[in-house]
Amino acid sequence: MSDAPTVSPVEPPSEEDFADLFEQAPCGYISADPSGRIQRVNETLAAWLGLPKAQMEGRRFQDLLNIAGKIYYETHFAPLLRMQGFFHEVALDLVGDGGRTLPVLVNAVERRSAAGGAEFIRITVFNATDRRRYEHELLEARRAADEATAELRELNATLEARVAEAVAERLKVEEALRQAQKMEAIGQLTGGIAHDFNNLLTVILGGLETVSRQVVALPGSPATERIERAVRMATHGAERAATLTARLLAFARRQPLAPKPVDAGRLITNLADLLQRTLGETIDLETVSGAGLWRAMADTGELENALVNLAVNARDAMPGGGRLTIETSNAYLDDDYVAAIPEPVTPGQYVLIAVSDTGTGMSPETLAQVFEPFFTTKDTGKGTGLGLSQVYGFVRQSGGHVRIYSELGEGTTVKIYLPRLTSDQPTAEEEDRARDAPVHGGMETILVVEDHDDLRSYSTGVLRELGYRVLEAANGRSALEVLQGANDVALLFTDVVLPDGMDGRRLADEVQRRRPGTKVLFTTGYTRNAIVHNGRLDAGVHLIGKPFSFNDLAIKVRAVLDS
Amino acid sequence: MTVLQRHNVKVSGRGERAMIFAHGFGCDQNMWRFVAPAFEDRFRVILFDHVGAGASDLSAYDPARYESLTGYADDVVELARALDVTDGVFVGHSVSAMVGVLAAKKAPELFRDLVLVGPSPRYIDDEGYVGGFSEAQIHELLDFLDSNHMGWSQAMAPVIMGNPDRPELGEELTNSFCRTDPDIARRFARTTFLSDNRADLQGVNTRALILQCSEDVIAPREVGEYVHRMLPNSQLVILQATGHCPNLSAPEETVSAIQAFV
Repeated sequence: MSDAPTVSPVEPPSEEDFADLFEQAPCGYISADPSGRIQRVNETLAAWLGLPKAQMEGRRFQDLLNIAGKIYYETHFAPLLRMQGFFHEVALDLVGDGGRTLPVLVNAVERRSAAGGAEFIRITVFNATDRRRYEHELLEARRAADEATAELRELNATLEARVAEAVAERLKVEEALRQAQKMEAIGQLTGGIAHDFNNLLTVILGGLETVSRQVVALPGSPATERIERAVRMATHGAERAATLTARLLAFARRQPLAPKPVDAGRLITNLADLLQRTLGETIDLETVSGAGLWRAMADTGELENALVNLAVNARDAMPGGGRLTIETSNAYLDDDYVAAIPEPVTPGQYVLIAVSDTGTGMSPETLAQVFEPFFTTKDTGKGTGLGLSQVYGFVRQSGGHVRIYSELGEGTTVKIYLPRLTSDQPTAEEEDRARDAPVHGGMETILVVEDHDDLRSYSTGVLRELGYRVLEAANGRSALEVLQGANDVALLFTDVVLPDGMDGRRLADEVQRRRPGTKVLFTTGYTRNAIVHNGRLDAGVHLIGKPFSFNDLAIKVRAVLDS
Repeated sequence: MTVLQRHNVKVSGRGERAMIFAHGFGCDQNMWRFVAPAFEDRFRVILFDHVGAGASDLSAYDPARYESLTGYADDVVELARALDVTDGVFVGHSVSAMVGVLAAKKAPELFRDLVLVGPSPRYIDDEGYVGGFSEAQIHELLDFLDSNHMGWSQAMAPVIMGNPDRPELGEELTNSFCRTDPDIARRFARTTFLSDNRADLQGVNTRALILQCSEDVIAPREVGEYVHRMLPNSQLVILQATGHCPNLSAPEETVSAIQAFV
């Protein structure tokens, strides 16, 4: 016999057990006829909805749904149940007592007869309140993530636009830089050529002067007349060539300027006759001067040149006549304005000279090239292409700014901005009146230093002819040796550019150190910072530009010795 | 892609005369699985899916074209012509009943008989007209569709799993019939429940059978009666079947009513 505990037999669940399982299950149960009409519903679902079971029985399941659920049930889930015999986990909202909404997940199965006809349907309802909230949170999180992504994308997109803008700006600056570099390169080239030309022209003009002085001493004859005529023509040609090289130097900004206080209004008034003659009878000249015009700081000769050049261009742009207006006024270039232009210009106060014509105007393509030397729209032989480049070079070298406004058929306005003079130096006119001294030579000793043999012999010839005692040297070192053996040198007349490591300025400094009180006169056709700071003469330094004539040199030398 | 491929057209039957079955909002040509076979002996039976439903070409879904029922009617005319249908029978369920009316008006030679199952020319009540829904109810439906996922909780699975590009991950669990693209379903609901084609009933003289269920939430009896009044050459049959889909819930009754008519 065994002591093993006896296992009591498992009793089959009772009616009550089943009823309890059905009524109290953690889900809602519905039995319905094939059309969805509720035959039995459990306590759980009745409690969730707050509706008595009796009130639900006899109604159709779809009647418990909200409006969207009703429509979806009829159009989607009832057909699905009929066709596949079940549906799983359909999310619906049930409407309970007082309109309260219960989010649920619904499973349904259709029980069929052996013949396949629907007998009834069982519906299981799960309370999905938590799950639905969770799903909404996930959807919300996803939406927020999408939004953040979209924002990021937007940021990236605008970043591209911002980069593109910056690149475009950069390209513009680079283009301006290229243009400036091109102008600089052209300037170097023309400046170099002009320098060599000036040396040659000095020799040519000097030779012609010598010829004409000698020819006067000969008995008059048809031959001497022909010689005199030829000399006049050659001199005229050489002078024109000198004017041309002066313009080239102006463009190259290698021309030493002697900026002086200038009253632009008065300068224009004085120039009006000449301008009117340049313009001819069919063009009216009008000058308008603003009240209380500031004085500007500029080289008056070059400013006059610039205005004549503009007048010539205006005349050529108005073949059928028209009007040229020259206006002067005070102007202020602000930070924004100077930031928008390619060249460096200091913001501040300027004197504006605006020259406007009523001519043919220029296309944007032409406008882009007008400042380049030798660029011309005129027929071959009609223009040098140096007019506007002189204006540009002169104004830039003067620390000013030029702007051209032009439209085809509308005319052209050139605006010249010259820096305002702030101190109260005397104007050029006041100085000029004092300068008209008579021409004569002297007995002093002059040391001439020039590496160019022809030029040196021309200069020494002129000075000897004027009665001076002349010593000469081809470079700085031999000049100092010459100085060593002579103690009465009153004037050093030296080229600025000298070979062998000592330029004219250093030589001058050394001479003045050894012989204080020695006067110095520089000459140059082409000058660097050794003598010219920003294109201006150093205070107290005397300079005679190449090419120079007998008279020019005579006057200048006397003036320096007497200073 | 031909119009027949675009609409997943299935042709069967041994008859000469064409009988086209058009499904409504919510499912696809499967809706006719218990009804269509009964006509194969006498008719050339044509089943198709509207663009955006079932196995149609979803890429052909153009929201602008299908903004009104005219777009769907144009499709019916196009595919009926492609199949050389003349003097055929058009059987349309729910919203497709009105699609059939529009097609018959556009091309009267196509159909001699119209069978309209649960038709409604307008779902929203109007002055002197019972549509079955208030305007607020329809907007509640549309707002619900816009702001919520409807019914297909499994359709949420890929979204929630963060794999919207791989819907097959959620597919195994999904109910296999009547799958719809949620966005297209939302647009189709808008087209359907905001439609008002009452004026299009004017001047339609084609023979018509109106099958009206009792207790149809979507197309109540008053609507069936209204359609019957507006179509001079129509018969109204009230079915014993309840709900909106007698073709599924009471196929025998539906078949015999149609047979009696054709």
